Amino acid sequence: MKKKNIIQNDLPVKLLRSLSVYGLALLIAFGLISIIIALLGFSVPDALKTLITTSFKSAFGFQETIKKTIPLIFTTYAFTIPFMIKFFNIGAWGQMLFGGTVVAAVGLLIGNFGLPSFIMIPLLVVVGILAGGLWGWFAGFLKAKYDINPIISTIMLNFVAVLLVNFIATSPIFKDPLEGHPITRPLSSSAILGFFHKIPYSIIFVILAIIFVYILLKKTKLGYEITSVGYNLHAAQTYGINFQRTIMLTFLLGGALAGLGGALEVMNIHGKLIEGFAKTSGAQYGVFGILTSLVVAGNPAGVPIAAFFMAVLLVGADALQRTMQIPVEMVFLSQALIVLLIVIIRKKFEPNGGK
Amino acid sequence: MTFITSFISQTMVYATVYTLTSLGIILGGRTGIFNVSAEGILLASASTGFLTAYLTGSWLMGFIAGALIGTVFGFILAFVHETFKINQFILGIILVIFGSGLSDLLYKIIIGVRLSAPQAPSVPSVIIPFFSKIPVISGILNQDVVVYFMYFAVLVAYWFYYKTKVGLETRAIGENPKAADVVGVNVKRRRYLATIIGSALIGVAGAYLPIAITGTYSPDISAGRGFMAIGIAIFASWKPQRAILGGFLFAGIEVIAFQLKLISANIPYQFFLMLPFISVLIIMMIFKKHIEFPASVGKPYSRE
Repeated sequence: MKKKNIIQNDLPVKLLRSLSVYGLALLIAFGLISIIIALLGFSVPDALKTLITTSFKSAFGFQETIKKTIPLIFTTYAFTIPFMIKFFNIGAWGQMLFGGTVVAAVGLLIGNFGLPSFIMIPLLVVVGILAGGLWGWFAGFLKAKYDINPIISTIMLNFVAVLLVNFIATSPIFKDPLEGHPITRPLSSSAILGFFHKIPYSIIFVILAIIFVYILLKKTKLGYEITSVGYNLHAAQTYGINFQRTIMLTFLLGGALAGLGGALEVMNIHGKLIEGFAKTSGAQYGVFGILTSLVVAGNPAGVPIAAFFMAVLLVGADALQRTMQIPVEMVFLSQALIVLLIVIIRKKFEPNGGK
Repeated sequence: MTFITSFISQTMVYATVYTLTSLGIILGGRTGIFNVSAEGILLASASTGFLTAYLTGSWLMGFIAGALIGTVFGFILAFVHETFKINQFILGIILVIFGSGLSDLLYKIIIGVRLSAPQAPSVPSVIIPFFSKIPVISGILNQDVVVYFMYFAVLVAYWFYYKTKVGLETRAIGENPKAADVVGVNVKRRRYLATIIGSALIGVAGAYLPIAITGTYSPDISAGRGFMAIGIAIFASWKPQRAILGGFLFAGIEVIAFQLKLISANIPYQFFLMLPFISVLIIMMIFKKHIEFPASVGKPYSRE
């Protein structure tokens, strides 16, 4: 009986409820942030204004926000899809790094063949998707076949990926001899995605990814499998869904999306492989992806909007550091706090919604 | 000979970090609380422990500060989980993120950017007369006090779980909280205590990193050891006496990887540095069949 009530809930009631969850969480969180900022001796109104409005005050602010939103959407999906069946992919960072690294290596190796852009770009995008997918799939495989907790395996694979980036970026074949830092030579121009009014073209791929995820989860058999395993594992298994296979597939999908994100960072933002490329505002995109996903309770439909708002905060955080010398970690900490509050308050309001 | 001596002594230093951390995770896990936040506690306590030791000039104060930060994290973990029934893994991951942000923030605010890294006061060694002069054995015995503290903690944990009634009850919570509750064990209080004491141990391990190993704090100083310690706890089937074995195993791999990196010319050094991470996975694959979990680990308990 209880379940029926949840389904019959009216949409306005639901909406109102989730709005009040976010409102309350934001209110408490911003209260706490204000106290901390004041304790550190900074002006609270100035800091809050900078944090929230930087993205919308200038074209530059908005472009920066879009640049951060794109990889964030990919890493948020990477966490969200395995999370739908209650597994934790902490490896979006590693999957992104591995995707980007393989793309850079392949791109540089075939760069001299003189392939045109319309072959080079799709080819490298596919390479990035496959590489990231492989990295994610492996964690799913370790869970399915050896029962290794994905939290551990994905973290270990992250560290391996970090070292692989360093290996490629310092290897004599790829390294840019003029750079002191581990950075590869630039990719050939045919492999580079450009900018449209300083908005990276990778936004096209992000839109495609959003459509892809929507269709996959809502309109395909696989999406139905994932949803039903997440809803009730026993029932799903009774109806013949192969749980092991679903685990591997969700990690493959998550990894593929993160890998695409890494490929686009290399092909669009940097044009080469730079050590530490998947980081922003004091932490890596994988971590922000986890936080973003938890904000929307792992609901894929909310990912793009949540990622955009997260990026707004990140751009604001950078501005705070630039103009007021407030360390970026301050905002990072506050984000973790906000997410914790949202998770708690949601659990209080809608006991079944917080997972 | 000096190579072996230094290998042993370095291994023991890293084994201290791994063992204390996984012991801390085991304590929580035995009552059903899976402490995924170990990495965050290591980072936060490394930073606060170092800063306290540096500012007070006392290594002991550093360790106390580290343990206190661990206590705070443990309390938050237990409190939020027990009060709101939030998924332990979600909570743990948020705390990891929290710890990594907090550690760098504190260091930036208090120390800022300096040309030469500030150094922590060193930890005194235990020197046993006569034996300390013999090679190899001196590598084993000539260790700082925290290494001995680690042995002590493992012994106490072993004694507690297998030789006392309270320990037996505590193990029962991990297996079946309802049954433990029925016979009158206060499940909630035990969970709080175990998580807090365990997190304090992780805090000591965190403070050990900058104070005893590197001498100074640097960002991401724990380098994933908090997560590897989860691997050790699982590999050890949540038994203290096996955690110390796991701790030595992983520490040995880490030290060997580092030594190989220095002497090998043909294989790129990055591949040696990958060894510890890859071996975590390989070891867990090999020992899959021998791993036992307390049945209630990761699950919330309420009386209804």
